[in-house]
Amino acid sequence: MIRIQRGPIDVAAVVDSVRRDDAGAIVLFLGTVRADAGVRALDYEVYRPMALRKLTDLAERAQAKFGVLGMTIVHRLGRVALGRDSVAIACASAHRREAFAAAAWAMDEVKRIVPIWKAEAAGARPKPRR
Amino acid sequence: MRVRVRLFAAYREIVGRGDVRWTGNAGTTVDALVEDLIRRHPRLAGHRDSMILAVNHEFAPPDAVLRDGDEVAIMPPVSGGRP
Repeated sequence: MIRIQRGPIDVAAVVDSVRRDDAGAIVLFLGTVRADAGVRALDYEVYRPMALRKLTDLAERAQAKFGVLGMTIVHRLGRVALGRDSVAIACASAHRREAFAAAAWAMDEVKRIVPIWKAEAAGARPKPRR
Repeated sequence: MRVRVRLFAAYREIVGRGDVRWTGNAGTTVDALVEDLIRRHPRLAGHRDSMILAVNHEFAPPDAVLRDGDEVAIMPPVSGGRP
């Protein structure tokens, strides 16, 4: 399942979306909004059609590269408050090693090739953050 | 030839809009389109070397040739962050 959404991420639903009888492991990664100095929230801007395409591609590549049985990626769009989830990745595999590796690789790819930008919501004017 | 240009984050703020219609000659490259936008919005010039380009939702090199109806995206580097 690949999704970009404004509302909160239903983490249990993300996990259940990859749950299957031939999996012996599910790894869940959550990226959360960290309280760096002066930050009240993060605003996520997304180039949706390209982001959906890139997320779909990378989930397929994760299956080919690591042999995972299923992968779900959900990313927030718009404002996300401190401590809340901005991205969730779940993947299922027969054994835990592939699921850990695939989740770590997928998150690196999200940061590298998926057109999503975040800006700090500190005061009235958001400023870019790398 | 008309193309749709999408701009994001700092570039959108500089241009004032994230969605621009651009008209040029057939056979124009992405690079020539970027040059033209920089002429109209000089504050983009400092970002030139870090721009990431896409045509029809796929990364594209500067010499990619545009066709009528294409959607070009001019994007800052994606968010990054430490692993």
